Amino acid sequence: MNLFINGQSLSLTDNNTLEHALNAFLTEQQQQLSFAVALNGDFVGKADYLTTDVSNGDSIDILFPIQGG
Amino acid sequence: MALSIYGQELSSRLLIGSALYPSPEIMKNAILASGSQVITLSLKRQNPQAQAGQQIWQYIQEIVRETKGFLLPNTAGCKTAKEALTLAKMSREIFQTDWIKLEVIGDDYNLQPDPIELLNATEQLIADGFKVLPYCTDDLVLCQRLYDLGCQVIMPWASPIGTGKGLMNPYNLETIRLRLPNATLILDAGIGKPSDACIAMEMGYDGVLLNSAVALADDPVMMAQAFASALTAGEQGYLAGIMQQRQTAHPSTPTLDTPFWHQN
Repeated sequence: MNLFINGQSLSLTDNNTLEHALNAFLTEQQQQLSFAVALNGDFVGKADYLTTDVSNGDSIDILFPIQGG
Repeated sequence: MALSIYGQELSSRLLIGSALYPSPEIMKNAILASGSQVITLSLKRQNPQAQAGQQIWQYIQEIVRETKGFLLPNTAGCKTAKEALTLAKMSREIFQTDWIKLEVIGDDYNLQPDPIELLNATEQLIADGFKVLPYCTDDLVLCQRLYDLGCQVIMPWASPIGTGKGLMNPYNLETIRLRLPNATLILDAGIGKPSDACIAMEMGYDGVLLNSAVALADDPVMMAQAFASALTAGEQGYLAGIMQQRQTAHPSTPTLDTPFWHQN
């Protein structure tokens, strides 16, 4: 299936969970950092990554802390 | 006197942003110099190759530890209530706070809030347990609606974000203060110089939130100190009771026994 993660296209062949998609996209280093996820514009809590399925064409946003005013 | 935000007592009436500084080190030094205990920050996408945001986040965490301070995440970039709600929930998970500086923008050029989406977002966020600090225009009716929805803190703008234009409409801001005596009012956006902050405090505002005015100064650390002093001056001026303005001149020096004075 094809997903869009942070605007970039990603192909996934096996496991269709959100957890799998995140692991495929993020570097090992980034996986250790603080981040939050939205799937198709809806927040998904960390506790639900393993039990949330993704589908072809889904859009995932992974956000990290940055400076802001 | 302390500033209280949703029951949390703070030692400073200045809330400060973490963006636009020349370096993370200067950001840290300026924020520490300001005395502020509340730092705003945000969330954004970061592709695998980008690392800059992490350094800033580490510095911000150091500042919070040193000041015994608090994070105030914002929903910058959101244009709808739904976007703001999603970003707020993401912020809550990462930053472990129910505080949210709610920005729902209606115009790309002056970044003024969309009042309708702002009210929608506020209602939903409060229902979800958030402590909302809404950024709004200096519109009395909008501020009243936000207060009626349950916002204890309201943050009207002085002028558009990042313009440094100061208080565009003092009459509106004074009116909001007069008509919402029980709200915690924090002037947010458009502040350019320390006197802007001083004027807000002289009006009886409870605090000021700024970023560009310090970050874009030639010397951010000195400017942060200047703002800290300005807020103290303004607050003391307000508490001391400012004299009434008078239409005609009243000489300060007694006129009796002035040489060549003639009594009519």
